[in-house]
Amino acid sequence: MLALLAATPALPLDEAGKYVAGAYVVFLALIVIYVAIMAAKLQRIERELGELAAFAEARATADQAAPGRESETPSISDSLASHGSRGGGA
Amino acid sequence: MYGKGLRPLSIATVAALVVSLSLVFFYAPLDADQGFIQKIFYLHVPLAIVALIGFVIGGVFAILHLRSGDSRWDAYSYVSIHMSVIFGVAVLITGSIWAKASWGHWWVWDEPTLVSFLIVFLMYATYYPFRYAIEDRERQARYASVFAITAGAFVPLNFMAVRMAQSLVHPRVFATTNGGLPGSMMLTFLVSLLAIGLLWVTLVKFELTAKSASGQLKRLRRALDAPAPGGRSRVAPEVS
Repeated sequence: MLALLAATPALPLDEAGKYVAGAYVVFLALIVIYVAIMAAKLQRIERELGELAAFAEARATADQAAPGRESETPSISDSLASHGSRGGGA
Repeated sequence: MYGKGLRPLSIATVAALVVSLSLVFFYAPLDADQGFIQKIFYLHVPLAIVALIGFVIGGVFAILHLRSGDSRWDAYSYVSIHMSVIFGVAVLITGSIWAKASWGHWWVWDEPTLVSFLIVFLMYATYYPFRYAIEDRERQARYASVFAITAGAFVPLNFMAVRMAQSLVHPRVFATTNGGLPGSMMLTFLVSLLAIGLLWVTLVKFELTAKSASGQLKRLRRALDAPAPGGRSRVAPEVS
């Protein structure tokens, strides 16, 4: 392989190698950035889901404690707003 | 629902990428003219082909959306275009690196292939502001579909126009009249194309799954905030 590379008529390997490496690194970097963004979104979804589960449980407990009465727990929007959550997609 | 089959698809994509890279660096022979630099070909060209096909697929999904009114097709169309734009960025950067190594310039303005791809890319870059300039969700989806169909039809027309243009610097390596690619290079190229295609499909599915989860979370919050008995559940992810 090295003999083949040495015999190549184009740019020498030390020159060509950095361009080829650059192209493949750019591709890899784009994928890694994309996956990192998606991971951040997934974390946000997981966090919001946890908050919603906690809210639902709190409401169910309040309903059980006082059946027939209107739930006195705050609305979910108020509850989530205090945590600064957003529900948007990409 | 959108996440179904994502795991085997991801494994197949990683395996295909590993095989592809192995073939590129340990099997495919060095190009007699360009030498080691030609290895960029196995990344740059499949990326470009998959990105352009992705734009056309986005247009096909948009047609299905307009025909059926089902918002799922709009989500498919949006995500297809979104992913192809990301691949388009990779095409432009890897192409520039190859151009600098081969021709000594990062960009050549009188080269039809480069400029036409840039035009297609910039056209699709306007998809986002166009889409999100419209607040009403129904109209947003409808207008975005019209855009996706029009732009999707432009892609093959543009491709044919470029093929008809006589380029001096951008070789037509798939032509058989002047030799074309040898078998080992063609095999490597096809495996690379398959790997990049699988990557596109996997990322589209990944994005759709994330959007679906986000949309369902919104619905859950709305349902908990103001329960609406008898309200019909929507399964399409919200594009927002």
